Amino acid sequence: MEHTEKKQNTLLTIYQKSILIVVIIVLWIIVPLYTDNIYVPSLIEVLKEFGKLAATGELFKHIGASLKIAFIGLAISQAIAIPIGVLIGWFKKVDTYLSPLLVVMRNTSILAILPLFVLLLGIGEVSKIAIIVWGCVFPTLINTIQGVKTVDSNLIRSAQSMGISNTGLFFKVVIPASSPYILAGFRLSASIALIVLVGAEMVGAFYGIGFMIFNAQHAYMIPRMYVGILTLAILGVLVNLLSTKLENGVLRWQESNTNAV
Amino acid sequence: MANYGKVLISTDNLGLVYKLGRGNGKRKSGQASTLTALHDVSISVNEGEFVSVVGPSGCGKSTLLYILAGLYRNTSGKAYIHGHEIAGPSLDRGIIMQAYALFPWRTVQKNVEFGLEVKGLKKKEREEVALEFIDLVGLRDFADRYPYELSGGMKQRIAIARALAYDPDVLLMDEPFAAVDEQTRTLLHEELLRIWEKTHKTIIFVTHSIDEAIFLSDRVVVMTSSPGMVKDEIRVELERPRTNEIKSTPLFGSYRNDIWRHLQSLTDSTREVTTMQGRHILGAVPQEAVI
Ligand SMILES: Nc1ncnc2c1ncn2[C@@H]1O[C@H](COP(=O)(O)OP(=O)(O)OP(=O)(O)O)[C@@H](O)[C@H]1O
Ligand SMILES: [Mg+2]
Repeated sequence: MEHTEKKQNTLLTIYQKSILIVVIIVLWIIVPLYTDNIYVPSLIEVLKEFGKLAATGELFKHIGASLKIAFIGLAISQAIAIPIGVLIGWFKKVDTYLSPLLVVMRNTSILAILPLFVLLLGIGEVSKIAIIVWGCVFPTLINTIQGVKTVDSNLIRSAQSMGISNTGLFFKVVIPASSPYILAGFRLSASIALIVLVGAEMVGAFYGIGFMIFNAQHAYMIPRMYVGILTLAILGVLVNLLSTKLENGVLRWQESNTNAV
Repeated sequence: MANYGKVLISTDNLGLVYKLGRGNGKRKSGQASTLTALHDVSISVNEGEFVSVVGPSGCGKSTLLYILAGLYRNTSGKAYIHGHEIAGPSLDRGIIMQAYALFPWRTVQKNVEFGLEVKGLKKKEREEVALEFIDLVGLRDFADRYPYELSGGMKQRIAIARALAYDPDVLLMDEPFAAVDEQTRTLLHEELLRIWEKTHKTIIFVTHSIDEAIFLSDRVVVMTSSPGMVKDEIRVELERPRTNEIKSTPLFGSYRNDIWRHLQSLTDSTREVTTMQGRHILGAVPQEAVI
């Protein structure tokens, strides 16, 4: 029967996809019970702490603070990266003037910039947002440039043959044609936002998940530290899920090779 | 044969020289830095006429169409439409390119609406006109599909519908049926002739297939390569409407012979005798002559 076969197949993929994670969870529950290392508490203990922090609302305060900064930083970075990327990709002159500077900026370690930003902008939200912007601009920028530079010239000619204006060409052809690249850049940037954020919160902060982890480590509140790490992992997965969903939604028109049965 | 109105589109000693390389002039010594794609091309097409252009690969057929579409600038001579020099692209000419060039992010419907958007039509009007032409090429059921969901022949039909929808006076078609199978091509030929008779468009049709050129056209322009020039023109006086049977008539055969001879002498003069000719007995012409 085709139906049951299909069902078996989905069960198989679920199994294949989750088996490793399940094994690790089980190990995390059992092994610490016997090793008795205070730095590696059992998952049960971590979850208890998780429940406690969630009940008092403290956890959500940290999550909220982190997400707010990550979101603002990401939004600003994309608002910079996409228009500039389009301009660099389209106008040779802009490319010539800007690219060398961008290469230098992109290859300067973000960890090296971080202290500078803290010095200049303080340890408040501004320096954190700035560092996220820095970290998230480049993936989208580079992808957008690539996307615009590789727009199929046949499509451009085809639109031009219908007498389209230059602005029309930009919005009706160049942007949609490079949208797969732009969105891939966005997805990368979204995960980078979280990663950079934690770094920023470890340098100077009074709230946020990164601060919570760092602080817990200092105070030897080990389960609490794990709660922070776990929360970050979950947030990361959620962000990836959401941006993938967005990508698939916008790029409905693309042939995906998973459609073939 | 058919009587046509006045000259609609024409060229006068048209020439185009491509600059080669990336514009920095750094090329290996001895290599030419320019390529003459078209040289002194003079053709003239009347209103409502169906003219085909055949010639070996690289003889400048696409280049010619791009100039007529206003997408490329000629480097010498003149090109005219409605008696005015062609200055750029415009909705009075529609080009259907060798590679369909449908916008993959737009549905069939939205693709056909593209030219109408540029023209500034209201949404409702756009939708009506687009549907009318999607109907005309027989793909109403596919109006909401994306191009990747269509076969090559369907894409080609949509490209034709898109060009027809904004109502150009001239259709410039660049090997539109090269990528579809024989059966589909026969169907598309009949469909194209039906549409042509219905819409009274002027069509300039580039092809590699001699049979296709004869079957469709009032006139066949034969081009030579390096540089691209017009070798000859053959008037096709076959009765319309034409059906597939016409291809086995003696008259059709003599046209085929004619064009084939032109192309053969052309390869003789430009290259060594090719193996392709060696395979044919002198004067005999392959049934489905493709160059
Ligand atoms: N953008 C370009 N830059 C430089 N040379 C070009 C360019 N486009 C075409 N050419 C050259 O001009 C000549 C004519 O090209 P064109 O594409 O017009 O030929 P064609 O007759 O359409 O060939 P085919 O039948 O293979 O499509 C060729 O030698 C080609 O290499
Ligand atoms: Mg060509």
